[in-house]
Amino acid sequence: MIHFDRFKLDNGLTVLFHKDVTTPMAVVNVLYDVGARDEAEEKTGFAHLFEHLMFGGSSNIPDFDSPLQMAGGESNAFTSNDITNYYDVLPANNLETALWLESDRMLSLSFTPKSLDVQRNVVIEEFKQRYLNQPYGDVWLKLRPLAYKVHPYKWATIGKDINHIEEAQMTDVKTFFKKYYNPSNAILCIAGNFELESVKILVEKYFADIPSGIKPARLLEAEPKQNEFRTQTIERNVPANAFYYAFKMPERRSEGYYMADLLSDILGRDKSSRLYISLKKEQQLCSEINAYITGSHDEGLLMVSGKLNPDVNFDDLDKAFWKVIENLKATSILDSELERIKNKIRTSREFENQGILNRAMNLCHFELLGDANGINEEHKIYEAINPNHIQEIAIQILQATNCSLLKVKAS
Amino acid sequence: MLDRTLQPELKEIDKIDFVTLRHFDVTANAKLYFMKDVSDETSRLDLYFTAGTTIANPVVSSLVNGLLLSGTSTKSSIQINEQIDTLGGFYESSVSHENAVVSIYALRENLLSILRIVADAIANVAFLDSEVKELISDRKQRFLVNMEKVNFLAQRQFQERIFANSSYGNLVQIADFDVVSSQELREFYNENYLNGLEKVVVVGNLQQDHIDEIIDIVGAWAKPQKTIFPGQFSNIKGASHLVKEGALQTAIRVGRILFNKTHPDYCDFTVLNTILGDYFGSRLMSNIREDKGYTYGIGTLLGELHETGYFVIATEVGKDVKDATLIEIQMEISRLQTELVGTEELLLVKNYMIGQLLKSADGPYALTDLFLGVETFGLNLDFYNKSIDAINNITPERIQELAIKYLKWEEMTVVSAG
Repeated sequence: MIHFDRFKLDNGLTVLFHKDVTTPMAVVNVLYDVGARDEAEEKTGFAHLFEHLMFGGSSNIPDFDSPLQMAGGESNAFTSNDITNYYDVLPANNLETALWLESDRMLSLSFTPKSLDVQRNVVIEEFKQRYLNQPYGDVWLKLRPLAYKVHPYKWATIGKDINHIEEAQMTDVKTFFKKYYNPSNAILCIAGNFELESVKILVEKYFADIPSGIKPARLLEAEPKQNEFRTQTIERNVPANAFYYAFKMPERRSEGYYMADLLSDILGRDKSSRLYISLKKEQQLCSEINAYITGSHDEGLLMVSGKLNPDVNFDDLDKAFWKVIENLKATSILDSELERIKNKIRTSREFENQGILNRAMNLCHFELLGDANGINEEHKIYEAINPNHIQEIAIQILQATNCSLLKVKAS
Repeated sequence: MLDRTLQPELKEIDKIDFVTLRHFDVTANAKLYFMKDVSDETSRLDLYFTAGTTIANPVVSSLVNGLLLSGTSTKSSIQINEQIDTLGGFYESSVSHENAVVSIYALRENLLSILRIVADAIANVAFLDSEVKELISDRKQRFLVNMEKVNFLAQRQFQERIFANSSYGNLVQIADFDVVSSQELREFYNENYLNGLEKVVVVGNLQQDHIDEIIDIVGAWAKPQKTIFPGQFSNIKGASHLVKEGALQTAIRVGRILFNKTHPDYCDFTVLNTILGDYFGSRLMSNIREDKGYTYGIGTLLGELHETGYFVIATEVGKDVKDATLIEIQMEISRLQTELVGTEELLLVKNYMIGQLLKSADGPYALTDLFLGVETFGLNLDFYNKSIDAINNITPERIQELAIKYLKWEEMTVVSAG
């Protein structure tokens, strides 16, 4: 059980407090309800570029990192298609420095041209390092627009094209900040060995006078139902042929999400999973195979990906793949197989909840999904899933007409 | 009215509690370390074997490590994995220069049962032809994929040149995979797993009879004698470049053989290392990323081996700024040799390092890793108290002296790939 308190400031900022008496460290986590899905199609990669700019100084503090390091702490952030999350970890007795820093950049950035110039270059190098200069690195840049035709999940967080980053202007930066970076669009979590009352006083001190702003409405066009099998082959200078099957799956807040999550585990999480045993161990078709979900808030993807063995062609793999899928749809799985998957989830959860940083991040994330207490409730949803649910969700989503297949052919 | 330009008053860290692990003799040459103080249901067990990459062809040590759960005469690899998964366990194994580690992560109630399954698998590896063939084919493919990455290419070249003329510099070549014999694998396995256990680490709220049982299960594998590691290394100085057609970035490594925690200059050097490249606000990050935008990241590292250590600067930069980056790296080193570090910067680095040490002593798993970080070198936790003193007392003059002594550009191995 992870305990937390929740309170809201008048300006709309939601605050969570998680007390942990065992640690000498404190965590300040700030989640902003904005991700790559909120970008305009002609200005992609912006949420992520903006995350970099958040470290370039705020209205009253010229540099974000130095004062935090002076306080013995450090900081980082990540951007996904759904959210942007910032965190500071520092010795507990210097908590106030992190609140001072986070509140000032929520108030306003300094918007220096130098910061924009440099971070544009840094992000371009990141684009190259992670997506363009790696074998198979551009797969998601190709797969997203194959699987999504309308919804903004059709572009990657880094952006559709390097040009979009190159062309980012200061006016765009300012507009983006004004729209998304305000208290009513943020969730703050403080974790550490503190008292609730003193946390409240400190949070009031630093965050209460930040103007509220308006929580931006999210009006995304829903992805139309997929009614066709989609496939694309790209040729790359890579040593092995690789395959990426992407099935649309239910959104994060639905029960189907959890069923699809377990379904992906049954297909290909571990070395005792169905695809691993059948396609790799028994038929020797591939060198690696994995199934997983993207974890997206809106309609997401259940993925099966892997690399072919030399001398195996895509068609042989494809036939064997669909045979495993059809079998899973035709016959209910055994209780013991499902229990095995749930046992792995229990162990993972126990390890995942260990550090206060993870707990603080997860509390914010669940709060965004509706209620921070979801962190304590989620396991019940998994426990309640039975073999019939798995069969139903398999029949629902593991259809060719719900599938996009990207093949990377070694040239 | 709140003055937002003023940083809140900073408080010092009064003390850091370092916790020693309990230890037990498995035999005279192998110890078991136990961290019992875990408040949740998690547990971890690590088995350290002598099976590193430097005592045989690296392909052999890496294949044997990958074959540990590949099946016995009575159980297939699929059955073994199913049994571990049924108990919710996670199995991991890895190889480094000087040893190999097998780890189990589990809820504590299942740890012993999983260990029995893993131990039975390791004790009775059948080296089935089909499994050996499959692993060789997988590893070959993975190797070829890695050879497409400039980072991997630069790291290989660096390893070869920094550990010149020693088995630490031996690189895997694609042809090695085709000449491995089953005999070689079995011999390595016999020597370095069945007779190669050097250390056991247990973290979790277990009872003493569990510890006794763990010793019973794995005790027979204890190595028969102490391991002797080579100590004399010298790096090939100067620059070399490997061409990778079509690469958009160039990976760079600059470094030299240095020392490990047993050296009297180690603690002071970590301060110099941090200033130069081991935190987000370091000189290299501030200049090459945050001012010039040449890279997504640049950092430095002190790598440690049993008898020595090495220092390395690593980055990937746009292909047109490789030379410009090397000039800036050289300039930053030279600045540390010719100018004293300012008071403000030094205070920041000191505070940052102590804060990070506090973090690395937070929780049973972190404390265990801290302990292992000194135990390997025959040191005890007092090392960290000395380290705090060193950080608190170091002067700008001392930092300059170390930069002059240890960061001479002409003594560096400089490699790039791209």
